[in-house]
Amino acid sequence: MIQHFPVAAVMLLFLAAFLVEIFGSKNAVVRNVIALEAATISAVLIFALVKPILIDGQVISYWMGNWAPVSGYAIGIGYEIDALNLFFALLVCATFWLSCVYSIAYMKNDRHLGHYYTLFLMLSGSVLGLVLTGDVFNMFVMIEIMTFASVALTAFRNDSDFALEAGFKYLVIGSIGSSMTLAGVALLYGQCHTLNMAQISAILAGRMTPTSIMALGLIIAGFGVKSYIVPFHTPAADAYTTAPTSISMVFSGMVNKAGVYGMIRMVYVVFRAMDKSSVQMLLVLFGAATMFIGVTMALTQHDFKRLLAFHSISQIGYVITAIGLGSALGLTGGLFHAMNHTLFKGLLFLTAGAVLYATGTTNLDKVGGLSKKMPVTAACFLVGAFSISGLPPFNGFASKWMVYQALYTRAMESGNFVYALVTVVALIVSVMTLASFIKVTQSAFFGQCPAELKDTKEVPFSMQLPMIIMAVLCVAAGIFYKAVDKFLLNPAVNASFNVTKYVDSMIGEGTAAAAGLENILVNPVEFSFWNPLVWLVLFVIVFAAIALVILYGNFARGKVLEPDTANDAKYATFFSGEQEEFSQVAGSDLFWGFKKDWKGYYKVLVGLHNGNVNDYSTMAIIAAAVIVLCMFIFMR
Amino acid sequence: MIIVNYIASVFLIVLGFYTVCMKKNLIKVVLGLGIVDYGVNMLIVSLGFNAGGTAPIYQLSDLLNGVAPTFFVDPVPQALTLTSIVIGACVDAMALSLVIMIHRKYKSVNADEVRRLRG
Repeated sequence: MIQHFPVAAVMLLFLAAFLVEIFGSKNAVVRNVIALEAATISAVLIFALVKPILIDGQVISYWMGNWAPVSGYAIGIGYEIDALNLFFALLVCATFWLSCVYSIAYMKNDRHLGHYYTLFLMLSGSVLGLVLTGDVFNMFVMIEIMTFASVALTAFRNDSDFALEAGFKYLVIGSIGSSMTLAGVALLYGQCHTLNMAQISAILAGRMTPTSIMALGLIIAGFGVKSYIVPFHTPAADAYTTAPTSISMVFSGMVNKAGVYGMIRMVYVVFRAMDKSSVQMLLVLFGAATMFIGVTMALTQHDFKRLLAFHSISQIGYVITAIGLGSALGLTGGLFHAMNHTLFKGLLFLTAGAVLYATGTTNLDKVGGLSKKMPVTAACFLVGAFSISGLPPFNGFASKWMVYQALYTRAMESGNFVYALVTVVALIVSVMTLASFIKVTQSAFFGQCPAELKDTKEVPFSMQLPMIIMAVLCVAAGIFYKAVDKFLLNPAVNASFNVTKYVDSMIGEGTAAAAGLENILVNPVEFSFWNPLVWLVLFVIVFAAIALVILYGNFARGKVLEPDTANDAKYATFFSGEQEEFSQVAGSDLFWGFKKDWKGYYKVLVGLHNGNVNDYSTMAIIAAAVIVLCMFIFMR
Repeated sequence: MIIVNYIASVFLIVLGFYTVCMKKNLIKVVLGLGIVDYGVNMLIVSLGFNAGGTAPIYQLSDLLNGVAPTFFVDPVPQALTLTSIVIGACVDAMALSLVIMIHRKYKSVNADEVRRLRG
């Protein structure tokens, strides 16, 4: 019975996509009911797998149409769920369920909502299918459906200024990535004559040929495009900005996680190439570049969503760096940060959407003082901002600390200067993240409220609910990090290092032993260095101090500024010169000194993000060529 | 000669990438994506080809009993290619429809003019 759950969850979402198109294009109630029911049921089906897989340690394998392997050769399409798949599937389910709840109120003023929900459910189904499948070609098909639905959703509000352009760029770069994945899959088939991941893993064990090295390079590049690491990140920034906010959250919460999942599955399980120091160095360097360039670009943005988009890219850099280390601690930190990124970045996108819904703009130079008008949104935003900046006791601190620790350990063990440098870069990026969120907090939620926004109201409850759930999860994951590690991360890390069970349950007992695969058991990570509860106490004290200052202060926060020109002697003519203007420190003003100091750097970087689709594709293709070349030079 | 197929498919892929990177006209960019697709499809078909093999239409029992000849063309890559062609056609159609919409809005299909979103 339980082995039908994963495939049923995927099928249900695709079926609901068609049902919405047929029955829901006119009637809003039918539409919402179908979409929400499908999302809820498939999330429940996936959550029902937690006990057998994560706690009992089973691996569920499912052959479509019961085409089981004949004499040890896989001939059908198989779904296989171990702890690593399930970890990502849980993130995907949580994201699309919350986004579906949020969409109902957020999107209600748009037209053609039938198409919106069709595409939304197709996107959810394809990402879930990508994460659960055990067949490389099926994975490629799911990637294509995902790209297709993402592009259509990016261009959904096609009356806005930039949506079409962003959709087109996304399509071009995404297709380049898909073609590379397909070429890699084809070469893999050419060598192994099978498409099943478990069997490829058994065949490739210790037998890398030039064909499979080429395939590995192409597949890393292909999934790099899907997880938007740096030279491939350009369409992501545009797409996150222009897509409806409920979709931006889905993009950063699950679409780029699908890329990260593919990378881990391919590099760790199928090719098992993570013991090569050259692969490690390649991924770590790409990750470091991603986090640094992402965060420096974010500092100069003055659109709320575009700023979040660049932060999203930057945080994926942490994940890629951590999984690139190839150590148990690194992978644990990487998976934990991937999970936390889903939580806090989703939360931040939802608050940006709430600001857009309430004020009609996401330009940080035009909003201000919203914390009094929208208290729930502001509180949720602060939780998200603290989490992403890595303040204890929020979840970002726990995972970032693991990443630093893993990097530092590697630097000490190998004595390699590059890893030490990357550790420093990771710390600096965290500081810059905090700086740019101070900017957002100051210019959107604190400070003075422009007169035209004085009637702003809090968003409806169905939009607040997803934000509150995600904020609570952010805090909970930070405080109960040990439980998270024991029940979620450690099984997933073990599953990615030990492929024996995966291969055996798919192809048949004894296959792994015959291929010479071994088990390396990984224990839960020990955290003896820090205790977030101590930090929590410290923060309570600091917040109490701030609250005291505010209570003694004059409650200037959020006040609508209307100078009393008639009575205030200051405004009398010839008394003090100029009349006081609206004096909010806007988003683009706060770090002007920094931007001025780094003028040369920013000139180059802004020049690279010039919006030309030819230049973006050139960057992507050069990067892919570099990856393939590195594979050939260093893996022989 | 099968090696000709591989060289031709790599040539098509490189030509497609060249088109995507160098041509300013967005319709030509879409055509470039199509050419990359054809190159990859050709690579897949060539991987399954056996010179002199027969069509792969047998039952499993025939094969196991040795009734059918065992030297035939691998059918899996052909199935993959069909899937890939269908997907490629959908992507091209969608890209071209986006170009039409872009032309309506920007009054241009030149990549240098369709770049309001930058920095």
